[in-house]
Amino acid sequence: MMPTIFIALFGAAAIWFGVRVFQTSSMVRSALSLLGAMAAIGGMFLAMEAEFLGVLQLMMMATEMSIMAIFMVMYMMDPGGLGQMDMSHQQREALAAGIVATLLAVAVALLVNWGTVAKEVDSTTVQLRALGIEIMERSMLLFETVGVTILVSMIAAIAVAVAREPKR
Amino acid sequence: MTTLILALIIGAVLFGIGLYGALSQTNLVMIMMGVELMLGATMVNLVAFWRFLHPDVYAGQMFVLVVMTVMAVEAAVGFGLGTARFRAKGSVEMEEAAELKG
Amino acid sequence: MTMLLMIVPIVVGIWVVATLESWVSTGRFRPGRPLAAAVAMLGQESLVPRRPDRILFEIAPPILLAAGIAATTVLPLAAEVIVIDLATGGLFVNAAWVYVVVALIMAGWGPNGAYAMVAGWRFLAQLIAYAMLTVMPITAVAMRAESLSTTAIVESQASGTWNVITQPLGFVLFWLAAMAVAFLPPFDHPVAPTELAGGVTAEYTGVRLAIFRLGRLTLILTLAAAVVVFYLGGWLGPWLPASAWTAVKTLTVVAAMLWLGRWVPRVRSEHLMAWSWKLGIPLALVNILWVGVTLWAVDR
Repeated sequence: MMPTIFIALFGAAAIWFGVRVFQTSSMVRSALSLLGAMAAIGGMFLAMEAEFLGVLQLMMMATEMSIMAIFMVMYMMDPGGLGQMDMSHQQREALAAGIVATLLAVAVALLVNWGTVAKEVDSTTVQLRALGIEIMERSMLLFETVGVTILVSMIAAIAVAVAREPKR
Repeated sequence: MTTLILALIIGAVLFGIGLYGALSQTNLVMIMMGVELMLGATMVNLVAFWRFLHPDVYAGQMFVLVVMTVMAVEAAVGFGLGTARFRAKGSVEMEEAAELKG
Repeated sequence: MTMLLMIVPIVVGIWVVATLESWVSTGRFRPGRPLAAAVAMLGQESLVPRRPDRILFEIAPPILLAAGIAATTVLPLAAEVIVIDLATGGLFVNAAWVYVVVALIMAGWGPNGAYAMVAGWRFLAQLIAYAMLTVMPITAVAMRAESLSTTAIVESQASGTWNVITQPLGFVLFWLAAMAVAFLPPFDHPVAPTELAGGVTAEYTGVRLAIFRLGRLTLILTLAAAVVVFYLGGWLGPWLPASAWTAVKTLTVVAAMLWLGRWVPRVRSEHLMAWSWKLGIPLALVNILWVGVTLWAVDR
């Protein structure tokens, strides 16, 4: 029962922060709300006994959303939201798409017969070991590919973003 | 209602909010935030599936790690493109990027 | 019960750190000063600047304090004296430190002041660069312990040598990264008293400043305790009881960090970044390789 309550609480927090992201006109608040949503998702992982993933989520998202915040401040005309600029378009269609997607996903969640639900999971120590073995054995190729992908994307991002010398 | 369905519904709502944000915002960084929220929702679902359906298959947790990497890659490439766009045009407003339609 | 047991050493530790800090900065040893300063700050009027982002302004100091306290929960004082012995303790402690940057960005953005904002964003760059240098040496330490649990890491050093002997490179990197994460001099960009008029703390007064200072002192304590746990053998040592060893080592590390900072001029921001990304991270990778090879060689 306790995990269910925690999942519901963290889920409600995630949804509330997620809505706040697109409601506020202050960009820093917006990025920090997204951090709140992501941290609440991390809390859900902890409630679902995936301790490693939860802690990793809490750690990674704090830096990622802080970086989001500084890019917002760099590239927005009104990062403080004091001018009350409207920065949205096609509101109605977007809202409809969001609601339809939610309803479809909820319908799938409710209609599918999920079969028996597992009651117990391994302790975290066992989980960490098993995840490590999974990464180093069966998913090794996948993990290597992911590593190379992130390296390539870093190089590509820097190559795209680097300042070029003006032509003489 | 089982806990699995509760977690899936939370994931669905988060996905819907993210989709709304990605479609309704005009700024590149805000659109990226919508996409991040959608990826976060997928992670919720993946962890729920791992926890309640196949807790002994650790490829489920591995999949979450892959999605986290996708988030990082998306952020890196998105900010790279944003920086290039800002250098060239002085703004990352997508309404002003209509010439990309070709 | 353990939680209550841990509060006393943490409070005493904070008091000692505050005394040491005032000692190295003023040159006079006054044990009563932290208390007097706290009373003075609590009595002060707590000003709110004009047009602040009120929510961020208010919650930044509590978040800094919460991050410090969260980090203390997984650091053991002795074999059984630990609030929660998480199996992912070595990762959790990093997750707690990363929230320092969130607190400082809020504190920088909230008060609507130029100095504070510059300091907050500077610290973002600093922490991202140096958070890597806390994670990667911990990876090497965890490799030796074959566990991320902090107690298991200390116990792995019981048989034979402490990690500081077997992984000197990781020790130096982690030490410097710890100083940078706690923004101690010479890495004190976010509070730089002489160039940014106090940086993120510039607009804070009274109770809020007191909470901010308390959070920072807790942070310094946790980073020193982490150096002890990961590299200096935690509670291990002859004669004295286990928790006394942790306390003595931690306070020695704090004193050494503060003393070191006194004699080095503040590093320029871009040099700080360049050292971390161009030198520190390759060296951290070398450290991981070195540890892997030595462990493999010892095993055979």
